[in-house]
Amino acid sequence: MMGRIPMVSNQNTREPMARGASDHKIRLVDRWRSYRAHHRATLTATLKKMLGEPIQTLLTVVVIAIALALPSAMFLALHNMQSLSSGFESSAQITVFVKKNTDSQGITQLGRELKALPEVAVTNYISSEQALEEFKALSGFGSALQYLDDNPLPAVFLVQPVMSSAADISQAQQLVQAIGALAAVDDIQVDMLWMQRLATITDVSKKLVLALGVALIIGVLLVIGNTIRLAIQSRREEIIVVKLVGATDAYVRRPFLYTGLLLGLFGAIMASILLLASFYWVGQSIAVLANLYQSQFQLAGPGFLGILGLWGAGSLIGLIGAWVAVMQHLRAIEPK
Amino acid sequence: MIRFDNISKRYPSGLEALKRVSFELEAGEMAFLTGPSGAGKSTLLKLLMLMERPSSGTLLINGKNLNRLSRSLIPSYRRQIGVVFQNHQLLSDRTVFENVALPLQISGYPPSETGRRVRAALDGVGLLGKETHNPLTLSGGEQQRVGIARAVVHKPKILLADEPTGNLDPALSAEIMALFRRFQSVGVTVLIATHDINLINSLDHRIMHLEDGMLTDDGAHSNGQ
Repeated sequence: MMGRIPMVSNQNTREPMARGASDHKIRLVDRWRSYRAHHRATLTATLKKMLGEPIQTLLTVVVIAIALALPSAMFLALHNMQSLSSGFESSAQITVFVKKNTDSQGITQLGRELKALPEVAVTNYISSEQALEEFKALSGFGSALQYLDDNPLPAVFLVQPVMSSAADISQAQQLVQAIGALAAVDDIQVDMLWMQRLATITDVSKKLVLALGVALIIGVLLVIGNTIRLAIQSRREEIIVVKLVGATDAYVRRPFLYTGLLLGLFGAIMASILLLASFYWVGQSIAVLANLYQSQFQLAGPGFLGILGLWGAGSLIGLIGAWVAVMQHLRAIEPK
Repeated sequence: MIRFDNISKRYPSGLEALKRVSFELEAGEMAFLTGPSGAGKSTLLKLLMLMERPSSGTLLINGKNLNRLSRSLIPSYRRQIGVVFQNHQLLSDRTVFENVALPLQISGYPPSETGRRVRAALDGVGLLGKETHNPLTLSGGEQQRVGIARAVVHKPKILLADEPTGNLDPALSAEIMALFRRFQSVGVTVLIATHDINLINSLDHRIMHLEDGMLTDDGAHSNGQ
């Protein structure tokens, strides 16, 4: 009823184990081929398993996606804010009011002195007459101004400082002091302060985004780690069986590492969809706003490389989370 | 092939499962290991599977000292032995074929050869028609035979079995034993732990008796060789 027993061929009969060992030799090419085959099989099996419990998988993926999308969106917003404020930087200027009664020679002298200062990039002279014309045209008080006996507006130098960064407060202050020391200067008005504040706010936000990003990435690691831990527990029997028939640690690890990798990747893909959707949504309003300000500003998107980077980062975080969980829990499962 | 030299095993709980056990099993020999529950039969097999390490003494397999085998070499050692478990240890989420193929897949056999060998092994235990079945749909005896097919599919030189007929009726037990004898007849060293005295008394094979962790009967004299 049992039939013949073909597993052990008769030539091997009663030969020592040395012969047996050579029976177990498998060609390296075959080993490599079968290693790749196992990777493929593990990947397919892992995918099937994930799709087999869609709700569970979707929940995990959504949590990961949100945790990845939040810091990415904030990073993107920050990036845009920086490029916007660097556009403002060029408009940072110092208004130097010339003392009344300074004659044209004194004004030319002041202009030369200002230009001689190393921190000054460009100066622009507006005479008191020009200033009055401009004021008439822009303020709408044109007719009322005609009743003034005398032009109340001083002549003005608009000084454009050389600025390496908007946050360079001390440099700007030194320049203001140097200008104040010049003879014909009456008063100085600096409209850089709000820029410096903006720069500082950007700096603070950068740190906040970084801190939040780190916290959320740790969150993703924990979510994936916990998912893998549960997966390991539910496949305890299987792990014991494969270990009993000689599976290496790498073999046992593989499906769990793939699970982590795929969860991270799917989370990142969903995060990029969220990111692009909200980017498109906000971008429309930004365009209208920019138009109102006659600005050429356009919201910069994550870009193709940014999206790829997000996917790579998601996969890597998934892999690391799985690895940590596997290291913690797999070794404890030994056949008893 | 298998040599126990003054092996003792003491568990952390203080239980001394094996006390200075010594015996030798020749290549191609078939022996039964008997004794009451708790006598140390399972512990002895676990030492051979490297699920446990001896507290003292030397365990030699084909002249190699198992005590010196590092943890990372355990998998490759296990691939060279075949083990039949009392509770079958089959995976219920895979087919019979996939269960039997597992040791080959782990060892890295090419798929074509895996298929050939698995079918040969299943043919040997009379289950060729059940490749695509789930193990859970099979009877106890059939499940045990799947386990045996898996244990021999990679042509091990040593076959260990822990109560392989534990839950089977006498007729099925006799069939399983006949299978083991066939393996022995082609040169496999077979060690079977069992308490089924009636069954083994009807067979002419070496019987070792464990009592309270001590080997009270080496059985070497009744060895048919």
